[in-house]
Amino acid sequence: MDLTRRTLLKTQAAAAAAAAANVTLPASAQNILTGEDLQLQWSKAPCRFCGTGCGVMVAVKDGKVVATHGDMQAEVNRGLNCVKGYFLSKIMYGTDRLTQPLLRMKNGQFAKDGEFQPVSWDRAFDEMARQFKRVLKEKGPEAVGMFGSGQWTIWEGYAASKLMRAGFRTNNLDPNARHCMASAAVTFIRTFGMDEPMGCYDDFEHADAFVLWGSNMAEMHPILWTRVTDRRLSHPHVRIATLSTYEHRTTDLSDMALIFKPNSDLAIMNYIANYIIQNGAVNREFVEKHCNFRLANTDIGYGLRPDNVLEQRAQHANDAQVSHPASFEDYAKLMSQYTVEKASELSGVPKERLEALAKLYADPKVKVMSLWTMGFNQHVRGVWANHMVYNLHLLTGKISEPGNSPFSLTGQPSACGTAREVGTFSHRLPADMQVNNPEHRKHAEELWKLPHGLLPEKVGYHAVQQDRMLKDGKLNAYWIMCNNNLQTAPNTNNETYPGYRNPANFVVVSDAYPTVTAMAADLILPAAMWVEKEGAYGNAERRTHFWHQLVNAPGEARSDLWQLVEFSKRFTTDEVWPAAILDAHPEYKGKSLFDVLFANGEVNKFPVSELDPAYENREAKAFGFYVQKGLFEEYAAFGRGHGHDLAPFDTYHQVRGLRWPVVNGQETRWRYREGYDPYVEKGSGVQFYGNPDKKANIMGAPYEPPAESPDAEYDLWLVTGRVLEHWHSGSMTLRVPELYKAFSGAVLFMHPDDAAKRNLRRGQEVRIVSRRGEIRSRVETRGRNKMPPGLVFVPFFDASQLINKVTLDATDPISKQTDFKKCAVKVVSATADAGGVQ
Amino acid sequence: MRRSVFLCLVSIVPCLAAGAILAQDAPRLRGPEPFTKEIPAPPMQRQVTDDVRVRRNYPDQPPVIPHSIEGYAMDLNANKCMSCHARKFTDQSQAPMISVTHYQDREGNTLGGLAPRRYVCVSCHVPQTNAKPLVDNVFTDMDALAEPERQPERGRH
Amino acid sequence: MSRECHISSLVVHSRPERVQAISERIGLIEGAAVHGGAEAGKLIVTLETDTESQVVERINAIQLLDGVLAATLVFHHFEPVQERE
Repeated sequence: MDLTRRTLLKTQAAAAAAAAANVTLPASAQNILTGEDLQLQWSKAPCRFCGTGCGVMVAVKDGKVVATHGDMQAEVNRGLNCVKGYFLSKIMYGTDRLTQPLLRMKNGQFAKDGEFQPVSWDRAFDEMARQFKRVLKEKGPEAVGMFGSGQWTIWEGYAASKLMRAGFRTNNLDPNARHCMASAAVTFIRTFGMDEPMGCYDDFEHADAFVLWGSNMAEMHPILWTRVTDRRLSHPHVRIATLSTYEHRTTDLSDMALIFKPNSDLAIMNYIANYIIQNGAVNREFVEKHCNFRLANTDIGYGLRPDNVLEQRAQHANDAQVSHPASFEDYAKLMSQYTVEKASELSGVPKERLEALAKLYADPKVKVMSLWTMGFNQHVRGVWANHMVYNLHLLTGKISEPGNSPFSLTGQPSACGTAREVGTFSHRLPADMQVNNPEHRKHAEELWKLPHGLLPEKVGYHAVQQDRMLKDGKLNAYWIMCNNNLQTAPNTNNETYPGYRNPANFVVVSDAYPTVTAMAADLILPAAMWVEKEGAYGNAERRTHFWHQLVNAPGEARSDLWQLVEFSKRFTTDEVWPAAILDAHPEYKGKSLFDVLFANGEVNKFPVSELDPAYENREAKAFGFYVQKGLFEEYAAFGRGHGHDLAPFDTYHQVRGLRWPVVNGQETRWRYREGYDPYVEKGSGVQFYGNPDKKANIMGAPYEPPAESPDAEYDLWLVTGRVLEHWHSGSMTLRVPELYKAFSGAVLFMHPDDAAKRNLRRGQEVRIVSRRGEIRSRVETRGRNKMPPGLVFVPFFDASQLINKVTLDATDPISKQTDFKKCAVKVVSATADAGGVQ
Repeated sequence: MRRSVFLCLVSIVPCLAAGAILAQDAPRLRGPEPFTKEIPAPPMQRQVTDDVRVRRNYPDQPPVIPHSIEGYAMDLNANKCMSCHARKFTDQSQAPMISVTHYQDREGNTLGGLAPRRYVCVSCHVPQTNAKPLVDNVFTDMDALAEPERQPERGRH
Repeated sequence: MSRECHISSLVVHSRPERVQAISERIGLIEGAAVHGGAEAGKLIVTLETDTESQVVERINAIQLLDGVLAATLVFHHFEPVQERE
């Protein structure tokens, strides 16, 4: 190592420490070693990947991100990152970044069957506006739609919601978060009247037992797993129980592993409720003061197309969401069917283990944190599963206090902050309000300074329904932003791809890279990503976290925010709003959507002089006002005083995020409990104030079978999911060589006996076949996942093995979230069918 | 026998035109063209096991693992990684010792051994295969920006 | 055994009235350098050592200085030293 390198490293070392301590080093001290050219500019940002919301420090030099490290000041991760987070520096630098709009053309004109050709932004937006106007004129607002993202920044989701609902007057706006945590979001509202967890990550340091329901945290939430393992290894009395359909890195580090048959988690939870009731472990006082009992409608179908025999046979497919008031006795009677024998028989878990698990919940001295993500949420009874775990915590009063915490983990960086809080679901408005509630619409119209009656009341198409409507030719102008749905939606060959290529439809995809979805679009818009724009995310513990734009996006790539706001300039109110509304409110006539949605006196309230001069902000420069601040402050008005209070905009650029409600500058760690939550009235102890009677709902529901189970022909369960090294569809992580080389392609994880039975050996090419379609993959009988006989796992990150051609488009009938965790497949040698030799 | 043939094939690939490699590997990123076409599954990749340390992209990057970790225990009773990388075993193993950052707990206290929060090594340190990157990555090493010229060290020792 | 060079940095949180003295004492420790942070009471210190255990020794020594509240390691990097050095 030469002297220059030593001094360089020392300068970096000092800069890193200074950044961590929030200390500015004197210029002389910084320069004395090496000269100015060795300095790096460090700034904070949240990680781009999962819903954990780790803080990172990002080093910029000469307009490029050159290093990242875990932020010591970030409470979430205190200096740690997972391997994906440590490689954030490289995600923006794949050489195939999209830098120009690309339009399918023939002979200089748009053609659905043409080849992609580079065009200017003007040309791209001209064509796009022409198509949207055509569809609006011919078919009306219900034929226009957008599929957004839990990876959008808060202001991007908010701008999209305004453009779609108030601009184009359609609620056909849904985020990919529908596939991710709709079941959790819906159940929060059904149980507590308000979305998002009552507890927070501080619970990790207080719990005596962690129960993981279908969650492989060691791979999917590695940094939160460090907090679980830290607690377990530092405090010998702590126990970890993990329920899963197969063994993995999380069960390796658990005291108890309960491997259950798909869908039988419902029976296990009802058994635990029964155990609590039978053994006198119900916290009577808590339940009487703070809970109501209800019984859910049963036999509710599987969210398939209405002509499917399973839907026609189901008694309550059309009113699945309905439930009825009940007594404790009614609930106890329903639960009493779930004996340990029955639960053990349905789940395949030995009785002793079920009893040991039940005791953790029943013992009043054990503080229990329940954790779940896709195992519950991607479930044909996902809403029930969420209810059932709340039931356990409510029956025992183990809720809303340090360590006693039912905690829904999230998969995307702003599934909470954007998709849920901003209201980008087809049924939601900001701050938990609903589109089909006239009071809520009126409130939104007032805050948005828009004429009364403008906002549409009909709930829009949800994710899976959007695909079906595209295919059926009822949704014709479609904008996909910040997601890769053709890789991640279910049953894509039959239900997603046909809609994208339907000649009646015009499909636009905004992305940073040429994804599977982008390649199937008609127009591709190049997007800025992560620290190429100013942003804000909200993580799973209600923490709102900001970052500045640190570098410029390459070429003509522009942020989703710029794209949304700029596109609004191409429409006038006269073109898209009904004449009756404009006649009643003539002051809106002749205005552009940009004027009425974004230059409305609120969003454009903050001049560019309020920008931090140390950072670039391309959107503010383009529109002439601090657009992010304006959007945020207008949005924050929805929640302030209503339990969703956010701090002032500028505060968030200083801190490592704050957990809402932020009241008098103080964040809230435990909601609904006096002493922690300022919204709880003095002397009341606990108030679930999201509901009018300030009580939470304990919802009784039975075990019901899955939509599809293995049979003689399709004899295996298929489970899909992620791996540690790749995030979702892999569009960022596959372009980082180290991450690609760490997990270089999907494989079929299978039990060695299942492989032997089919004459398959490790590495052999196989076909994975379902009733929907098939793909080819390779057999893996070793490695990190240990499958039980009869069940296989395939990750979905690899576009050369599109496992979602095989999956079933069944959803939870209440939340409309897809079940990616169970369908029936068979696995055969890829060469056997042809009879050839490999 | 099989193995030597395989290695031969691997060594030829880099000689092909870049376009050919892209066409072969693009399905991993962009899917089949058209989407509905059935394509073969690419072969599984061979693990790197040469024990040669790989330079980091920047100082805070966790080093990658240049050996196989197949079958390594990582549970409540044992952590196989530490049987070579713990301070007390590095004499015998000649493996790099875990970083001193790994001795600090969440509150910043220095402990006498591996901090429990750092117990799961593979959250940050990952093995590698011989797979060729799917696309080039033009991430810039800060040395290329910041270090004017490498000079032989003068004057020390 | 090949030699290594270890570069690390720490934040040394100190009692305001002792900052100056602590800064001077740290300056006397082999391989240690103070880069600033006195005003905030959080000294930014780099260490250059030959071994990892020396990093730990130095941090312990700093932690024991009168008036030091905490010494937190932020950055650590090492690489082999070329033989011709």
